[in-house]
Amino acid sequence: MSQKLVIDPVTRVEGHGKVTVHLDDHNKVKDAFFHVVEFRGFERFIQGHPYWEAPVLVQRLCGICPVSHHLAAAKAIDQIVGLDPADLSLPAQKIRKLLHLAQIFQSHALHFFYLASPDLLFGYDADPVKRNVVGVAMEYPALAKKGILMRKFGQEIIKMIAGKRIHGISATPGGVHKKITVKERSYFLEDNETPSIDTMINWSVEIVDFIKEYHGKNKAFLDTFAAYPSGHLGLVNKENGFLELYDGNLRATDFEGNVTLDDIRDVDYNKHFYEGVEKWSYLKFPYLKHLGREKGWNRVGPLARINICDGIETPLAERERQLFKAETNGQINNMTMHTHWARLIEILYCAEMMKSLLEDDNILSGDLHRKGERRNEGVGVIEAPRGTLIHHYEVDDKDRITRCNLIVSTTHNNEAMNQAVRWVASHEMSGKPRVTEAMMNQIEVAIRAYDPCLSCATHALGQMPLELTLYDACGNIVDERIRQ
Amino acid sequence: MKGSGSDILIIGIGNSGRADDGLGWAFVDRIRESLPDRVDYAYNYQLQIEDAELISHYSRVYFVDAHIMEWDEGFTLDPCTPKANQGFTTHELEPGAVLYLAETLYHKKPEAFILGITGLNFELKTGLSEGAEQNLARALNYFNENVLNLIT
Repeated sequence: MSQKLVIDPVTRVEGHGKVTVHLDDHNKVKDAFFHVVEFRGFERFIQGHPYWEAPVLVQRLCGICPVSHHLAAAKAIDQIVGLDPADLSLPAQKIRKLLHLAQIFQSHALHFFYLASPDLLFGYDADPVKRNVVGVAMEYPALAKKGILMRKFGQEIIKMIAGKRIHGISATPGGVHKKITVKERSYFLEDNETPSIDTMINWSVEIVDFIKEYHGKNKAFLDTFAAYPSGHLGLVNKENGFLELYDGNLRATDFEGNVTLDDIRDVDYNKHFYEGVEKWSYLKFPYLKHLGREKGWNRVGPLARINICDGIETPLAERERQLFKAETNGQINNMTMHTHWARLIEILYCAEMMKSLLEDDNILSGDLHRKGERRNEGVGVIEAPRGTLIHHYEVDDKDRITRCNLIVSTTHNNEAMNQAVRWVASHEMSGKPRVTEAMMNQIEVAIRAYDPCLSCATHALGQMPLELTLYDACGNIVDERIRQ
Repeated sequence: MKGSGSDILIIGIGNSGRADDGLGWAFVDRIRESLPDRVDYAYNYQLQIEDAELISHYSRVYFVDAHIMEWDEGFTLDPCTPKANQGFTTHELEPGAVLYLAETLYHKKPEAFILGITGLNFELKTGLSEGAEQNLARALNYFNENVLNLIT
């Protein structure tokens, strides 16, 4: 009897997802899918609003990475008021970059300490009652406290610049709305109730060392689990091809490192990408036009960024990048679990860059705004914590948004996450008579490496059980489990 | 937030961009002007692990959130106890898990309550539904008369 296994929703990822695994008569996996079943409709919702509202409204997409949406929209709206990224004043550019780095720093810290570390510290087959952040806090309280303070550090910088930890406002069309004061800056350069930026750098070095040591002890697992060839996409610095998170050119390579997108201007993204659709998911499937749907999809996020860049401008992170590249003899790294490693290298980069910007007197300047000649279209591309984020707006002569297209990081990773699910299903579940808790979590471990954000915008109490349902070939439920 | 000197905290949880999911924020919006000096307030999108550090500075905490359950009064105010088994997601901790972390990591155990207000519509829009407005008004009346009036 063929069966369909449903894991719904996937745990410890942003928002709701569902995994279905289709088995044949011999319990062999026929296929597996990662569904996104929440429809947000934000691209329609925003139509008709004045363009200057976009950077504020789009933050409501997400409570975890609102700053990324805020800044991607702001970069697009800058163009509506006639400014390309380099046209902004240097203080405005640097304040925005500092805000962005703080967002990535706190988001990566959240992911590692609260989402990934339970699997790494306890093992994916550990009791789920223990294998969570509460378990980490109980057995590794010092680690948990560091996680809290690293996240808090990033959030305090966000609060300094944007006024609030979540859904604050910093960017305005053509600049930012406030400068940073000497007193505000000093708070982060010195140890007080929040440790200093130097402490953040030291702790970032520690967790990179942790993942390297973990890799040494668990090489077989990290090197092989859910590993598969893919393309890799992200922004790179326009001048030197180095890691770039705020503004750069789009570069992609195939799984062997051959360039498939050669440092194009980010505003030209729609000349190179199509978005495929499937009936079983609200999430689209972006791919490079010239390679087609089957070969043109790419991973985005930390692993892709470290793969495609030519270097990192901060010394400690660059040293770690070189060690990371040495693991694959300089070749492209397609090992999904190494995404955690790459994410921690980025944490270190963010900490070093934040220090550099905090010590730059330019951020104290009141030269915050520029104006240009009005346009009717703007594209903002940024590297969000989870990968390349694209905001594209068209406006009419009455300043109303007439069209909006968003390609969020998780959308870019859609095919990659489906590949991860298929890998686990075929390697770990095929031929097994029953689905165990460990198997369920392996699916989730593979997806969690991408830190997907599936819209967590609604969270009312009582709404999020974990359901596991087993169907026979006729669609009858033969087994069902609910985990609150 | 008002800052130092307060020993009671009200945390409104939710997203005002998702209709009745904004009940927690709306509650704080409408009550904050009348709060005694010793009562502080905060707006949260979700509860996170760092909120354990936040609540460790208070002796009593009220978590206010939209709820999908329906009650005759339109709301419920219940004691909240520390809970180690925090469920399956860590991007939005349950109030009991935040309490548990405050106790585990900071050795503080504030008295805590959950005020759940029934929401009816969680679509992508701003503003509360008519039913949620009624439930919010009942919850505010009850809270003013039975909680705030007793705080000096």
